[in-house]
Amino acid sequence: MGQPQLVIKTREADKVVIFDLEGELRRSDLPQTTLHSLVEAQLDRGRRKVLVNLDGVTFVDSFGIGQILASYTSTQNLGGKFKLCGVSKKILLIFQITMIHKVIDIHDECDRAMESFG
Amino acid sequence: MSDGRLERTLKKFGDVRPAEARTALNFAAYFFLITCTFYLLKPVKESALISFLSPSWWPYADLITALLIGFVVAWNTRLLSRMPRRTYLTASLLFFIFSVLAFWFLFDVHASGEVRSPVVDPSGMYFFLSIQIFIQNMWHWVVIAFAFWTDVFIAMSVTQFWIAVNDVCDPHQGKRLVGLFVTGGLFGGIAGSALAALSTFARVLKPEDLLLAAPGLLGLAVFVVNLVYAGQRRFDAAVGDGPVGAPARVGLLESLRAVRSSRYLLLLAGMLASAMVAGALINYQFKTVVKYAFESQAQTAAFISLLFMIVLGVSTVVHLAATGHVLKTYGIRWAIVIAPVALFAGSLAVFAVPIGLLVGWAAAVRGGDKLFDNTISQSVRELLYIPVRADIKYKGKIFIDMFVNKFATGLGAAIFWAFYALRQFAYRSDGTLASALAIVRETGFLTLFFLLLWLAMTRLVYAEYPAVLKRDIRKIHKEGREAIDEHVDIGMTLEIFNTIQSAERSSTLYYMNLFNLVRRRQLTPELKELLGMRRDAAKARAMDALFDVGGGGFFPELEEAIADPEIQKEIDLVFLLPAYQQIMGERLGEIVGSASEVDRIEAANTLSRMVPNESTLQALARLLQDPSSEVVLYALNSASVHRFPEHIPLIVGLLANPMVCAEAQKTLADYGPGVEDLVAPALQADAGPAEVRRAVPEVLARIGTQRAADILLAELARRREDLEPALVEALYKIRTDRSAVRFREKAVRAELLFLVRKACDVVLDPPGQKAARDKQVVWLAVNSTNPEHANFRQPEELKKTYTEWQAAYAAQLMDADGATGRAYGAKTTPHTFVIDAEGKIAYVGAIDDDTGGKNPERKNYALAAVDALSAGKPVDTATTKPYGCSVKYK
Repeated sequence: MGQPQLVIKTREADKVVIFDLEGELRRSDLPQTTLHSLVEAQLDRGRRKVLVNLDGVTFVDSFGIGQILASYTSTQNLGGKFKLCGVSKKILLIFQITMIHKVIDIHDECDRAMESFG
Repeated sequence: MSDGRLERTLKKFGDVRPAEARTALNFAAYFFLITCTFYLLKPVKESALISFLSPSWWPYADLITALLIGFVVAWNTRLLSRMPRRTYLTASLLFFIFSVLAFWFLFDVHASGEVRSPVVDPSGMYFFLSIQIFIQNMWHWVVIAFAFWTDVFIAMSVTQFWIAVNDVCDPHQGKRLVGLFVTGGLFGGIAGSALAALSTFARVLKPEDLLLAAPGLLGLAVFVVNLVYAGQRRFDAAVGDGPVGAPARVGLLESLRAVRSSRYLLLLAGMLASAMVAGALINYQFKTVVKYAFESQAQTAAFISLLFMIVLGVSTVVHLAATGHVLKTYGIRWAIVIAPVALFAGSLAVFAVPIGLLVGWAAAVRGGDKLFDNTISQSVRELLYIPVRADIKYKGKIFIDMFVNKFATGLGAAIFWAFYALRQFAYRSDGTLASALAIVRETGFLTLFFLLLWLAMTRLVYAEYPAVLKRDIRKIHKEGREAIDEHVDIGMTLEIFNTIQSAERSSTLYYMNLFNLVRRRQLTPELKELLGMRRDAAKARAMDALFDVGGGGFFPELEEAIADPEIQKEIDLVFLLPAYQQIMGERLGEIVGSASEVDRIEAANTLSRMVPNESTLQALARLLQDPSSEVVLYALNSASVHRFPEHIPLIVGLLANPMVCAEAQKTLADYGPGVEDLVAPALQADAGPAEVRRAVPEVLARIGTQRAADILLAELARRREDLEPALVEALYKIRTDRSAVRFREKAVRAELLFLVRKACDVVLDPPGQKAARDKQVVWLAVNSTNPEHANFRQPEELKKTYTEWQAAYAAQLMDADGATGRAYGAKTTPHTFVIDAEGKIAYVGAIDDDTGGKNPERKNYALAAVDALSAGKPVDTATTKPYGCSVKYK
């Protein structure tokens, strides 16, 4: 089974921009649009509530974590809210060991994450 | 449904990855079909046994299964190794399809009660008529054969399912997807028993007609199996048909020896056997009540399938909602007795239950037995196996599963059979519930006996459990130590136990600690197994128990993820990310200021892996001053990684806290050479906590440099009595461990002489000698030291030294061969003997009661004896225990 390409789909609900990620969030040799650039584009459009759905993500490497952290910082700097949902136990493990889970709001269920935006 | 949506749906039941969703679904469907078939067949089997056979025949069915199923499994294994896998699985399922149709035919012929032939040809007619006459006459054996066939079906088909999983999934996949598969099986069981209950209750189908559903379900299973293997070829050509990667075979004798070698396993086998016998007797009581309560096989089948459905559903809910909670709250000590105590109470109730409630009682006790077996008892069994060494456990389990379980089933059957015959219950088969009540009450005594035995065995097993656990932890640790590092110290042991305990505090802390262990390459497979405690495995197996089959063991997945070098590397890289450092730089202060102790402990732990910068420095300083000793311990660990000089005064201050003093000493020592002059002021200070001053020499000893030795020696020269023991101990350690460190003889000699003098003051007791001399007592100093011993001094040398020390003995006697010393029984230096005017020993023992040499109000026993003798009085204390170094005899 080959490494699945990352697919990022963007949608919006209740003024929250939701990024649905599928595949592996890792450094790639192929030039592609990064999560951070997509988040920044939405921030440029005035969106301030960002939810990244990792339900379809099977692996995240340090590059992927960097993308998430950069997206978080960009959102925070503009006074926005950045949250994660659908995080698998294995990916959560990386967040736990690095204490990122103390900084970024992480929800098991995306519906709950949506509700928490208020 | 698209692959993505399917994957998301399946993810709710297990960690399904892209591209494996369809294969995972096929396996779940395969397990669903098998268990659904089994739960359709089971009520037919049970109701046939109950309705068509008298109770005295029931034990035969159990005995035959116990005796023969092992042969069938062995034969199956041989087939397995000879046939291509896909062919084998297809052929096996087809065999069950055709044989279930054959059984349906037999049931149908028996139900019709007629002898008829579908053909008119004379030879064909003769064949069919003969068979039908045979069926009617030998019906008992047909039912027993069907019961055996059903047991073979479930044992083989479930084994085949796991073989297929083993073929197609790699171990990691298998572990991830097991939850999904088991869920498929669970739904299958509930669907099968619900279908059986509804169709028989509604009288839509006769019980035997349920058999006709089986070929359809198994036909679908054939299709799914082929789909699974075909899909597998497309995805991964490397894995295909082939022999099972089964573990090495273990003979029955070898497994028996494994059980005999361990008292604990013997007790465990005894406990499981008594539980199984009790369970078998409860089952016979249940069957007796049902037989007399329901008139037809249809009613019996409906009742039994309804009971199975309820038990399966309730077991699932109880297992998911309560098993873990019970184990966590009450521990294995009490969890182990829940089933026998509850069943004992239930069985005892038969003596009070009225006839009207007899069926309810039987269903409750039988259902309860199955419920416990599926939930708490299964989890407890898995936990009880944990302390047993892996190789012994593997062999022991084979013996217990293959022999003890079957023996217990057979014993239960034999007991019921013998009891039934002895009590002549056959004469009470009048079909009334009153007879059933009489039978179950009498059988109840046997059931209660085995439940009591089970309960007693639980106590014996639990009494052994902690000892075996501790012994095995020590052994595992020893093996791990030998394999990985010869110099692993007690610190590692503490770290392992801290890691185990930290799981109770928070899962995050547990994984952090586990990560630390892995990073230091100290996590052997044995320790990994130990740390995991197989809670997930126990959980998975307990779900397997719902299908009356054994399951494989699985290591917890996240522990494996932590041990994955790729994950480790990525975690290390995350700490180096500029974005990470920037965010943590801003938020660290807030995190370490959390009101939650666990949050602060986690932060203190993570700081060890963060890049050293200003925010790390500040955060760590704050945590080193935390009011919680737990937080400080973790902070000290991180401090020893970063070694910020700014933290040294804080850490030195912690030496006064007995809870963290040892870790603080270790941390300061980890700073290594260069830190000696930073800790020296704490040693040299006259003010401040004495605990700090006394703890510093150990730090310097661990650093073990020339500078550390010089500081210690200079402090020794200040002759501060409270520090002397610590200073001497530290210097001795450096002298022993660090051969490169040089001691200036001039400085050392003076201090040594001072200390020796202090020690010898006790031995020689010059004031005592003078007092004795004044009373006209002759004080003889006998030296029994072997002339070849390092401690031996020539008489002239001794005399010179003792004169310097103002000794006042009358004579110094050299006892080079030790004859005098031995004649008196002298054991220590000094060992004092006071001899009266008549030459008799008036006192023997210590010179005084000041064993520590620091008591200004010491009682001098020798002088007291002299005084008493001088006054013509008896000696009050004629003997005491001597103290001092042993005499170095030749």
